[in-house]
Amino acid sequence: MTQAVTDAAAAANGNGTAIVELDNIRKYFPITRGVLLRRLVGEVKAVDGVSFQIREGETYSLVGESGCGKTTTARMVLQVETPTEGVMRFNGKDASRFTGPERREYRASVQAVFQDPWSSLNPRMRVGSIILEPLLTNHPMGKNEARENLETLLNDVGLRQAQGEYYPHEFSGGQRQRIAIARALSLRPKLIVLDEPVSALDVSIRAQIMNLLRQLQDQYGVSYLLIAHNLATVRYMSHQVGVMYLGRMVEQAPTRELFANPSHPYTKALIAASLPSHPDIQREEMVISGEVPSPLNPPSGCHFHPRCPMVMERCSVDDPELRQLSPVHEVACHLF
Amino acid sequence: MATAATQPILEVKDLRTYFHTRTGVVKAVDGVNFELFPGETLGVVGESGSGKSMTSLSIMGLVPQPAGRIEDGSQILYKGENLLEKSPAEMRQIRGKEICMILQDPMTSLNPVYTVGNQVIETLRQNDDDQRSTSLKERAIELLSKVKIPAPDSRFTNFPHQMSGGMRQRVVGAIAMAGAPNVLIADEATTSLDATIQYQYLALLKELQQDTGMAIIFITHDFGIVAKMCDRVAVMYAGRVAEIADVRELFNNPQHPYTEALMRSVPNVDEDVDFLYSIEGQPPALDNLPPGCSFADRCPYVFDRCYDEFPPAVAAGDRHIATCWRLAPEFANQEAR
Repeated sequence: MTQAVTDAAAAANGNGTAIVELDNIRKYFPITRGVLLRRLVGEVKAVDGVSFQIREGETYSLVGESGCGKTTTARMVLQVETPTEGVMRFNGKDASRFTGPERREYRASVQAVFQDPWSSLNPRMRVGSIILEPLLTNHPMGKNEARENLETLLNDVGLRQAQGEYYPHEFSGGQRQRIAIARALSLRPKLIVLDEPVSALDVSIRAQIMNLLRQLQDQYGVSYLLIAHNLATVRYMSHQVGVMYLGRMVEQAPTRELFANPSHPYTKALIAASLPSHPDIQREEMVISGEVPSPLNPPSGCHFHPRCPMVMERCSVDDPELRQLSPVHEVACHLF
Repeated sequence: MATAATQPILEVKDLRTYFHTRTGVVKAVDGVNFELFPGETLGVVGESGSGKSMTSLSIMGLVPQPAGRIEDGSQILYKGENLLEKSPAEMRQIRGKEICMILQDPMTSLNPVYTVGNQVIETLRQNDDDQRSTSLKERAIELLSKVKIPAPDSRFTNFPHQMSGGMRQRVVGAIAMAGAPNVLIADEATTSLDATIQYQYLALLKELQQDTGMAIIFITHDFGIVAKMCDRVAVMYAGRVAEIADVRELFNNPQHPYTEALMRSVPNVDEDVDFLYSIEGQPPALDNLPPGCSFADRCPYVFDRCYDEFPPAVAAGDRHIATCWRLAPEFANQEAR
């Protein structure tokens, strides 16, 4: 229901305001040789010109296989990595020109939940302190106020009050992920980066966490940047999807549009390779030979051309630009 | 596909694998029954701690020692002979030759200091009569090309770290195929692979199965793999088989509340889902199982009897068995409520 409404909003092009906007972002990692005489021998183009917007209260998903640059992109949004080129804007302001207070505000407004809830929580801290730590760092407050905040947060993520006194090892994976979510929410952020938030969890727990995340999005009006490799998760969680391959965006569209009308051969291949939900579902056979090439030495022209079943002559020469199929649907392929 | 007339190649009867620890007995596998026919693919689905991996280790005779023990009365019949009565020497003849296993992480199942060719030859040397080194090398390269490793001649001298995850898993596949096994156990074999690579690997396994007629057991947590690959499915929960049926029957007509709930809680690539059903709560601790049904606490249909007594395995259709009180004849009317 909400999905239909936001899709319509997206179709009307940008009624929701963009919280974070990435404009032609690039991240190159240098490769050096030698100890004393360091010399540059090459670059890994981890992210190579990616643009997208995350709108208020929406979920933007990045999908792709390992090495496609989705995690590096997320790290740039978190300002853990600085882009080599390109501009990232937060509420319209260029993030590279932030003043000190602006940077602090940004860091408080953008939080993260990681894949592995076993390594992202400090085993020596009580859950209550873990959840309140970001809040107390940013807004010093009295004991009573802190306790009230903790109660609300624990309640919102479905944990009992008493559990604030426990240590992380006393919880199961799903509950730990709830703790990580409560910590991310404590500062009432505008955006939460979710890096594979359910892939380390058991099947029956995944649905709990996905439903919780969707419910919290409605309640807090927070936006998500979801990094995932499972298309079913992406379809359930997101409003907008960007498909990445070897550092480039190959297709971008609202979720419904993307699944109804996948256009890039790579997107089609990903959908064909995704596992069926019923034994009677027969997918279009789409054999993608070979593996993802090394980003150290990506193929010329369209990076996907050596594996593409629809490859043409110009694909190995020309870089395809992102082109609009419709006002909301962009694809980078010479077929269009 | 199996026909009723053929003998099962593998039969697991009342398998109980317990871990005797200082704090108590952990019932990792607690009374598992299933049959596997030649050429058939059986999926064993369950969450972590459901006992699916321990079932496969029990079949291979690799239960962690000394805490783990397969209890008396358990039977694992391979071609009619009980594997649990075999000596270690006899088991070595079966393991890796007649029954093989592919594990989740190819980086840990391959030895990093030997070339992949070496590791394939090592297995061939155990199994083959022809021990001349030239023919061993020829056979190894043949195996590598059988699992579709491009340029097997030059890949033969690669170390595992020089290969990608998908390629490494193919090498593990080649090693498993070296003994021309009758039963292949794939324990989360494609979980660590990327989507398009997983797709290729599953297609490869199907092809190898068609060529050799081996039976495959897929240990997985993913119903998608079951839907794509399996003929028959066993759903495990807390060390027991909750439900076992042919794949279409299970998807169209799930009888155990756990199976039903699991299927409704998986998001779908093929259609929009408005709201996912989610099973509240956690699976029970295996060292302190309740006397009744282990799913009772999370079950939407629970009634008194479920807490008191473990439910019987009831036939719910053709080759379809579910372990649930709702299906027991004396409770047929309970469901009408």
